Formats: sequence, structure tokens, C-alpha cells
Amino acid sequence: MPEAPLTVAAPATAAPPRPARAGPPPMVLFGFGWLALMLAVALLADVVSPYAYTALDLRNRLSPPIGFGGAWLHPLGTDELGRDVLARLIYSIRTSLLIAFGATIIGALVGTSLGFLAAHFRGLVEQAVMALVDFSASIPFLILALAVLAFFGNSMVLLICLLGLHAWERYARIARGLALSAGAQGYAAAVRQLGATPWRLYGRHVLPNIASTLIVSMTLAFPEIILLESGLSFLGLGVQPPATSLGSMVGYGREYLTRAPWILLAPAITIVLTTLSVSLIGDWLRDRLDPTLR
Amino acid sequence: MLRFLAFRLARAALTIAMVVTFAFIVLRMSGDPAQIIMGADAPPEAVDAFRTAWGLDRPLWEQYFHYFGAILSGDLGRSMRDGRDAIVLVAERIPATLALTIPALLIKVGIGVPAGIYAALHRNSLADRIVMVIAVAGFTVPSFVLGLILVLVFAVQLGWLPSGGQESWRHAILPIITLGVGGAAVLARFTRSAMLEVLGQPFIRTASAKGVPWRMVVTNHALPNAAIPTVTIIGFMVGSLIAGAVVVESVFSWPGVGRLLVVAVSNRDLAVVQCILLLVACTMVVANLVVDLLYGLLDPRLRSAPRQATA
Repeated sequence: MPEAPLTVAAPATAAPPRPARAGPPPMVLFGFGWLALMLAVALLADVVSPYAYTALDLRNRLSPPIGFGGAWLHPLGTDELGRDVLARLIYSIRTSLLIAFGATIIGALVGTSLGFLAAHFRGLVEQAVMALVDFSASIPFLILALAVLAFFGNSMVLLICLLGLHAWERYARIARGLALSAGAQGYAAAVRQLGATPWRLYGRHVLPNIASTLIVSMTLAFPEIILLESGLSFLGLGVQPPATSLGSMVGYGREYLTRAPWILLAPAITIVLTTLSVSLIGDWLRDRLDPTLR
Repeated sequence: MLRFLAFRLARAALTIAMVVTFAFIVLRMSGDPAQIIMGADAPPEAVDAFRTAWGLDRPLWEQYFHYFGAILSGDLGRSMRDGRDAIVLVAERIPATLALTIPALLIKVGIGVPAGIYAALHRNSLADRIVMVIAVAGFTVPSFVLGLILVLVFAVQLGWLPSGGQESWRHAILPIITLGVGGAAVLARFTRSAMLEVLGQPFIRTASAKGVPWRMVVTNHALPNAAIPTVTIIGFMVGSLIAGAVVVESVFSWPGVGRLLVVAVSNRDLAVVQCILLLVACTMVVANLVVDLLYGLLDPRLRSAPRQATA
């Protein structure tokens, strides 16, 4: 978890030093700022949360947020059981970010490894990997995820691994293609001639050369995973109570849409701003680091 | 062209076979399929009959071929809730889903593609900026949030439209808008970048340099080339007509395939889930096949050589 923010933030500092260019546009700065805030909230959830997310305050049930007749006791209001919406929001952010980071990293690892395997062994291995790529491109991921959840039941670990499979085929395709073209270049041949093992060749030489493209793909996959997780949790099939995620909060708040819309609006706005921030950063990184990627 | 067609057909069949294999493996890994499909309270003789019928007492590889045969003959098991054929149960729901997804598809293509083309042709103009802001917003607002906000505004506050159910055509308006807006945004963004990429190609510069009117350059040179990636995305949308409304159907309590799937998943009604999975895979594969054939029509270069990776 502590390493996770680096994977997103690192390229910003390590971006090609082009003195002529000004810093990132304001929207992207906003994206970085919001994402930093979300990460801080997720990491410090236990410190910043005003209450435990399961704590009940039965005397203040469905109390509205500040500005709508609420009191500072519960800044974002409470739900039907008198649970503080802010506290639940903070823990939901932690759950959703943890799942999204975990799943993004799993997807990148699995996809890149399979892509390298295909590029290294060619022949039958490559055909098998490409057939798997075809297979996962042939079913909408939500349907596949729902089917697996139906067959195996639900747990947090399964959910993260499952979402980790989202977009693996994109990394596999990119890694295979780039590793093949790297193999045709001098440096890879040279390292191989010097007797480097495949581990060393791919890990130390090919990977750093294609890292920027992979990082851009990760920033583009990250918001999709947040959306998938919140969609599944909204349907009641993702994160299970008593744990809470942004999507399950929206799903719960839906019951109180007319009486207490704030239960639903707080996590909904958080989802939108987070996916928006990461998408803006991803688009910006893509334009800067990798003009070949569309 | 004939070889191209044969190659594509073989590939489509292989993909379907992989989906069936996937369902087989997952079904076996999750426990005794006879018990799961027949339900825990099924009489033992029925379970035994099912085992014999599906050959569950035979070796695994033989079971696999049996399973394949059963699926090919349309035997997809029964729903454990009411004992009806899963395939009938699913088929009943398809019209309701299509009533949402087909109009939504028209909105997506009718708004998304022209907006994307316009934005690309007027790059960095105010219109381009507006289209892009809406497109990014459309991608980042999840459909359940958009749907619920529409309900909050148009059903709860204004009282113009019903918030859920399927009694009349007015019930379909909000779900169709919810589906259409998100897809139109994705398509606009995609079309725009496809157009921009083509407009940056040397042959466009050549065409305008030799004096071809800009309008003709766009219609005769840019649009056909930008069509290929756009058609891919539209193909994907056509392929998800049946199962593309899972979340939206749940938001609006619309009794379609998606709603059935969610209920089946939470009840672990595996026969129904498996049936929907296969159905979706088949539609997707057929849609992809059609897209591949369209590629052949759009781009003669793709007719002979099998495509290695998606463009």
C-alpha cells in the first residue's frame, strides 16, 4: 500500500525534462491534488475518521448534512441507523482504493508476464496466450465477474483477484508487442549475447524500456476498476457488509433516495471526482510519455 | 476473401469453445454440479438421473465431451428456483432488455459519432472543448449514479417520469437516456481520437496539397479510415445489447436479462448464470465476426492477411 502512490506519482517527477513546457494544466493539478487527498484519507482513515464506521447514534438518525439543517456533530449527516456518513465515506474510500490498487497491480503483473512469455517462447505458448486474450475480449468483464462470483461466492480476496483480471489482456498485448520489437533492437540482442538469463533480460532491460507505456495503461485501467468495483458493490455483489465501499454506500443510499439523498450523493461525488482525477492524469501522462498510445 | 471468412469462422468457433470450457471448469471447481444445478433439496433420484444424463459418473474428459454435446443440443439445465428451463427463462427476458438497449444504441451512435467527428474537425475550438468535457464526464460518472440522479431530478423532484418498473413506454425513457449518454460519451471520445489520428496522416496532407477540396478530403479520405476503430467499438456495443444493461436495469427495476442475471447470481442459480454467460459470449462473438467482415469491406488490405492484434 505505501508503494502504491509512487507508481502513479513517480512519472510526474521523472517525466521527460522539457524546459519549454509549463507544468501540468490546472485540471491535471486538481487531479493530483484530489488523488493525494484520497490517498491521505485512505492511509489515515483511523486517525481522521470522527467515529467508527459502524458506530450508531440512534438519537440522530437521518440527520441532514451541514448547510441543509444539520449540525457539526455529523458534518455529512447520518443514515437510517444513525451511522455517520463522513466516517463511512472515509472507510469506503479506503476499501475502494485498496481494491483498485490491488487489482490494477495484479492485472499489470499477470498481463505483462504473460505478454513476455508469449514474446519469449513464441510458437504454441504465444498462440495460447493470444487465444486467452481473444477469450477475455469476447465477454464483457462485468458478466464474467458476475459469473465467477455466482460460482464461487464472495470474499474480499476473490474480489480483488477477479478485478485484477480486468484489462490483463491489454497489458499482455502491449507487453508482447513491445517485447517483440525490443527483441529486434540491438540492446536486447546484445544483452542476450552477453549471456543474460531471460529473467535479467526482461526484468532489467526490456521492462524499464516499456514501463512508461505500461504505467499509462495502469492509469487508464485504474478508474475502470473503481467503476467496476463500485458497480458490483452497488448491485450488492461486490464488497459485503459490514465492510463498506463507495459503491455499496450508493447502493444502500438508494433506498433513502427521497428522504435522505445525502447518503448517496456523498459517495457518488467521491467516485466521480476520483475516476475523473485519475482519467485526467492518465490522459495527460499518455500525451506526455507515450504519443504512440492512442 | 473465402480464406479470410474461413479463418474468422474458425476463430469464432474456438472462442465459443473456450467459453464453454471455462463454464465447465468453473462449474466443476465450485462443487458437485448435480447438487448445485438441481438444488440442495432435490430428491436423490432426480440428482442421480441428472448425473447419468450429464454423465457425471464417467471420467472427466468424457464428461467434458458430454457437457459439450448437451450444450450444443440446447440443454442448459434448469433454474433451481422454479425448475423451468434456464434457456426459456432467459429468452423471456430478452425483448425487455432489447427495448432499452436498441434505442440506447441509436442514441450512442447518433450523437457520439457526429459529435466526435465535429470535435476532431474543429480541434481546440469551443465546441471541441465542450464535447470533450461532456465526454470525460460521461465516462467518469458511473451509470448507477447518473441513473439515480436522473431519478432524483425527473421522478422525485419534478415528477415528470416514473422512477422504475415497466408499465408503459414512459418507464423506458430514463433508463434509455442513462444507457445512451454514457455510451455516446465513450463513442465521441473514441471517434474524435480516431479522426485526429487519421487527419495527421501524410495522405491527408497530400490530398489537400494537391488541391482536393477539404470537404472531399474529409468524406473520401479521412472518414473511411477513421471508421475502422470506431466500427470496432460499435461492434462491441452491438455485442453487449443483451447484457449491457445489467446495472441500469437494476437501478430502474426493469425486468430484463441483466436483472435476471443479478438475481441469479445472488441466489447462485448456476444454470441461469451459465446460460446467460454463453448467450452473451455468442452474441459478442457474432458481433465481432461481423465487425471483422466489415473490416474486410472497409479496408482491402485486411482481406488477405489474418489480423494479428486489434488495431
